[in-house]
Amino acid sequence: METKILSEHYHKPEFRALAGYKALGGYEMLAKALKMERQKIIDEVKASGLRGRGGAGFPTGVKWGFLPNNGEPRYLLCNADESEPGTFKDRKMIERAPHQLIEGMIISAYALGARKSYIYMRGEYTGPGRILRQAIDEAYAAGLLGGNILGSGFDLDLDLYMGAGAYICGEETGMISSLEGLKGQPKLKPPFPAVQGYLRKPTIVNNVETLASVVYVLRDGVAGYRAHGTEKSAGTKLFSVSGNVNRPGTYEVPLGYPLKDFIEQECGGLKPGRTLKAVVPGGSSAPVLTADEALRATLDYENLASLGSMLGSGAIIVIDDSNCMVDVLGTVSHFYWHESCGQCTPCREGTGWLHKIVDSILHGRGKPGDVDLLVKVADQMKGRTICALSDAAALPVISFVTKFRDEFEYYIREGRSKVTGKGPTDAQMHH
Amino acid sequence: MFQLSDEGKAFVKKQLARYEQKESAIIPSLYRVQDENGGWVSPEAIDHLSELMDIPASRIQEVMKFYTMFNQRPRGKYHVQVCTTLTCGMLGGRELCSFLMKEHGVKGPGEVSKDGKFSFSHVECLGSCDTAPVMQINREPYHESLTEEKALKILKELK
Amino acid sequence: MPKCTINGQEIEVKPGATIMDAFYQMDQKEKIAHYCYHPALSIAGVCRLCMVEIEGNPRLQIACNTVVTEGMKVNNDSEKVKEAVKWGMDFHLINHPLDCPICDQAGECGLQDQYMAYGKYDPEMAERKVKKRKVVDLGPRVVLDSERCILCSRCVRFTEEVTKTNELGIFNRGDRAEIGTFEDRPLDNNYSVNTVDICPVGALTSKDFRFRQRVWLLKDAETICAGCSTGCNVDVYFNKEGVFRLKPRPNEKVNGHWMCDVGRDTYKPLNRDARLLDARLSEGSKVEYMIPLMGARKAAEWVREAKADPKSVALVLTGQYSNEEYEAIVSTFKADVGSDRIFHWVNNPETFEKFDGLLFRGDRNPNTKGLLQAMQRHGSLNNTWNELVAALESGSVGTLVVAGPLDLSVFPDLGEKLASFAKAKRVVWLSSGRSDVVDACPSPLIQIPMRTHVEKTGTYVNHAGIAQTVHAALAIVPKALTLSEVADVIAGRDVKRGNAPAGVGRRAQNEFTAHRGAL
Repeated sequence: METKILSEHYHKPEFRALAGYKALGGYEMLAKALKMERQKIIDEVKASGLRGRGGAGFPTGVKWGFLPNNGEPRYLLCNADESEPGTFKDRKMIERAPHQLIEGMIISAYALGARKSYIYMRGEYTGPGRILRQAIDEAYAAGLLGGNILGSGFDLDLDLYMGAGAYICGEETGMISSLEGLKGQPKLKPPFPAVQGYLRKPTIVNNVETLASVVYVLRDGVAGYRAHGTEKSAGTKLFSVSGNVNRPGTYEVPLGYPLKDFIEQECGGLKPGRTLKAVVPGGSSAPVLTADEALRATLDYENLASLGSMLGSGAIIVIDDSNCMVDVLGTVSHFYWHESCGQCTPCREGTGWLHKIVDSILHGRGKPGDVDLLVKVADQMKGRTICALSDAAALPVISFVTKFRDEFEYYIREGRSKVTGKGPTDAQMHH
Repeated sequence: MFQLSDEGKAFVKKQLARYEQKESAIIPSLYRVQDENGGWVSPEAIDHLSELMDIPASRIQEVMKFYTMFNQRPRGKYHVQVCTTLTCGMLGGRELCSFLMKEHGVKGPGEVSKDGKFSFSHVECLGSCDTAPVMQINREPYHESLTEEKALKILKELK
Repeated sequence: MPKCTINGQEIEVKPGATIMDAFYQMDQKEKIAHYCYHPALSIAGVCRLCMVEIEGNPRLQIACNTVVTEGMKVNNDSEKVKEAVKWGMDFHLINHPLDCPICDQAGECGLQDQYMAYGKYDPEMAERKVKKRKVVDLGPRVVLDSERCILCSRCVRFTEEVTKTNELGIFNRGDRAEIGTFEDRPLDNNYSVNTVDICPVGALTSKDFRFRQRVWLLKDAETICAGCSTGCNVDVYFNKEGVFRLKPRPNEKVNGHWMCDVGRDTYKPLNRDARLLDARLSEGSKVEYMIPLMGARKAAEWVREAKADPKSVALVLTGQYSNEEYEAIVSTFKADVGSDRIFHWVNNPETFEKFDGLLFRGDRNPNTKGLLQAMQRHGSLNNTWNELVAALESGSVGTLVVAGPLDLSVFPDLGEKLASFAKAKRVVWLSSGRSDVVDACPSPLIQIPMRTHVEKTGTYVNHAGIAQTVHAALAIVPKALTLSEVADVIAGRDVKRGNAPAGVGRRAQNEFTAHRGAL
């Protein structure tokens, strides 16, 4: 069953505008928060067990606790770059409830003592960007942003910054570089952003869903928030589902929800006559699960980790038996090759190498030993670079060729797909 | 020699003052330049920005070439960007792009149709996988749940 | 002062020092693979080769960005590290053209050297390599081969952080990334060739040096650049055909890690084709050549003949010689000749005080300060140029000895000054360079070939008062003399050729020395 906490009112068009949002209880938590001790809010977020919803799943309250108390100006940045293939829940949230994010941000900024905040949104999101811009303007006009918010004496400026097309800007330090007007290349850590982030000042970067969730941590209290989900994976989460299911879309379920039920009930199951082959459970960088693994999995951080994969951004891609896994990996390895920022050698060269090997196989030029070589190269790209893109490129490769090795071996041997019986199509050749 | 309009120059000046660090104005200014330059950022345009913003041209060029939404070459009046990653790849994005290119007599991504109206490109995940395949034309909101017929109709209606 | 252990060796470092700093401090920089790290540039941390294992940390870390903490135990010789470095090297090479036989960097290439030490040796890359731009003209002095580039970003950081000229950038991303200038505009600052030096591979090469010598056919020796009063520490690269290039040698007190492009060219006047090879006596239309020592004896004769009136012998000094030579010639003039008519020739007074903020100075002499100190010691500092001009105009100068330029190109006033000197009855012209302007001097003139700073041992005092002693590196014109030797001849003393160059530098080494080390 869906458990709609964040998304309770997403189906109501009036929830988008300030008046409708307020009528449905919006900004009540802001009023409450502004009367609270800052540390109390941080403590509640910590106690709620809320974990970062962007992909890494790092406990939000703990991250907040890394901010040094040194009197320097600090920044709260919202990561709305949402670019992990398969992920679109942040876009839905902003389209349906822009004020939910703004309210979460004002509360969080207040708790953290930030007076300037940016939402960094991927450049392609023109539609959601317009909606958000309008909502920010509404909030300013209503005294919810700017000076002396709701008479509390707290000031916050919030601005929207549009990116321009680069996956890597979803990595928090890549995002900071981009916001600073540079190429969106991740920065060396240490120093970590909480110590030296935007403009080398203490900075917290949180995902859209994470910041919106803060509103509900305050509304429902720690116990209320923890009423959903599991001990270590508390609360509900929005999942983006796509691929070969009857009802793809965004669904909110408690963490720990069985993936099998999710696919069969919420997503309406597979197309008639099709069987499940594989599921990517957490965005394209999460190692793929076989059908067997997927049917055993529950949607929480721990269970998916125990299966060798991850919850990531909560992007579930359902793959049925009509798909050639070599071809699916082809678009994924192309993606990482295209998106590597190019600064670290293992990633710059490795993503290209992986992409070329997979592409050669797809074009009937595969060589015996390519499967092992893919694993070998991918292994050497893990844990060697400034950011996690290199790992993100390596993990799907390793899981695809390990779990569907027969399809890769067949393609190399026969020069055509085991599933479709065909070699490369014109469309693939163009790619 | 490319020059921004007076409004464009005023826009850039405003961006320079808007952020804590003036380099942050590069991306918004590049969008502006691209819009006023028929959809791409020419070297002359970067020179112009460099002078206007007092930022070395090499720095602006680095930024321009890093982000895929800035076009380094002239493109059609309508630049059709078809998503081909993962779900869109599984559900026909690549085939859709090939179809549209063929229909417009264009041999490959980046090429501009003879009438100057269209150019096409594959893009990576647009973040609309539940409505795959999707495309974006210029910087407008997406067109979703496409079929060949539906996409062709959308392009036909563009003036 | 935190202490740590590196490969079992304990070392104490300055607070804030990184593991890489510790390797440098232990003089073991060749024991850790690295390309992007450069001690004078910001940390990029992108080549990912300086991997180390730190006890208690499951993930390998890069040495260049990891600060040493008390008690840290570090190694880079475990199998885990070796495997990572081996593959890190291979990632650098999969798209590299491996065109070492035609590459100028071969023999002093970071890729070559480090591959020998850390390479994988069984290449598995069988896909097509990325094609990039070749032979890109990057301006007056530098050529780029983008396929050889490993994108370490040293050159980009150099133009951003050192010259602050920002010509270079890295354009496009992933394996399509290439260094370059905006629209191929020239990399034209006075420090551009430093990018060639710090390029660990053959991506940036020097137009002046490329294809002229294989580096393993060159010897090198330590010296200074004589191009201005900064006195940058340099290595001079030479063989029996002559000198081929200068490269900066780090000295934090003088030049950091760099030298200017103007200084790079100062090797050119050292070579035989620019040099005065024999003494040349010209009187009217009569020209006679002789060995330098005979020339010096002739000069001594002229000085002796004028000495009846010591006031009729004058000495002009330029800032091109060493302290030892100044002392010898000035004391000889004072004591043996009995003349105190000693003058300082300021070659380019308009620019003398100029400074570009980095290294290059308007005083284009290596030892103006040493010269002034010698003149002061001997009480000649108050002699003005106008006194000399007045004496020349009045015809009272019988023999004028000019310790002239070693580098003629920095004496724009050469012709004008010579016209004035020609008013002396006889001129003794000491110089290492050959010049038509000097040859055309109408008065009786003897030119004596002098040794350059790389051919003799001597001390030079730079603008900041730092005295630097350099040793003879090679002999290009073996018979040429030093100013001290000329002083001996004038004084009638035996010529001590004690500091005659042995033909090789202090760091005499095999001509086929490899591992010259590009780092």
